[in-house]
Amino acid sequence: MSSENQTSFTDIPEAIASVSGTDRSVSMTVDSELYPLQAVYGASYIFIDRCYVFIDRPAAGSYRITLSAKESVEEVEALRRIVGEFANELLSCTWRHQVTQDNRVAIETVTVQAIAGAMGEPSLDDLADFDFTDEALDDPLGIAQSWEEKHGRPSPGPSPEAKAEADADAEPKADTEEASA
Amino acid sequence: MTELRFDREVYAGEAIDEAVKTWSRFADFALSETEAHWVVQVTPKHEAAARQIVGEFGNFVLGLTVDRGGVS
Repeated sequence: MSSENQTSFTDIPEAIASVSGTDRSVSMTVDSELYPLQAVYGASYIFIDRCYVFIDRPAAGSYRITLSAKESVEEVEALRRIVGEFANELLSCTWRHQVTQDNRVAIETVTVQAIAGAMGEPSLDDLADFDFTDEALDDPLGIAQSWEEKHGRPSPGPSPEAKAEADADAEPKADTEEASA
Repeated sequence: MTELRFDREVYAGEAIDEAVKTWSRFADFALSETEAHWVVQVTPKHEAAARQIVGEFGNFVLGLTVDRGGVS
């Protein structure tokens, strides 16, 4: 696009959009940090039924989208409408891309749960093949331990009655050993 | 003849190959590449529809690239 064919829209910054009257096309240059490539793809895809769309990178850190109207465009105003609608669509795609990125973990979690639920309950063969030898619980903080185990409180010993019975059982045995000797 | 230079970070090379196969009925293609671009020289077989053929070919490449999820 030669500079003598370019005109600028009065309400769009000249550095962003320029129009060529000879080939009824309009170019728009956007910052790749503000508008990721996936958003540029999305917005461009929507316009391929109305325009011929070409994307290039005139410099590192920017994309230039050239929209060339398929139908005959009589007025510059029609091109201005195209570039304006494309800018809005690009902003919409960028925002949706950002929302998807922010919620990626939640989306993946829900998807995995849905797929796991659709698989149904495990069969008897699956249970037979399951490896139960693996540790069921990894408890590095000791949360699953009892209060006594965790704080070293001694477990209650045998009751006095039980101790007396144990002593009584031991004494006759000693007597029999002496008698046999 | 029209020369199209597709940026390699924007357009998938496989998409260009597939589009060339599809559009070979309507134009002759010559492919080459540079460090940053896939270069396609398009010679439409119907001069009256040259603009439409070149433009639709570019859209087709873009569509295939988007369908592939971009450049891998």
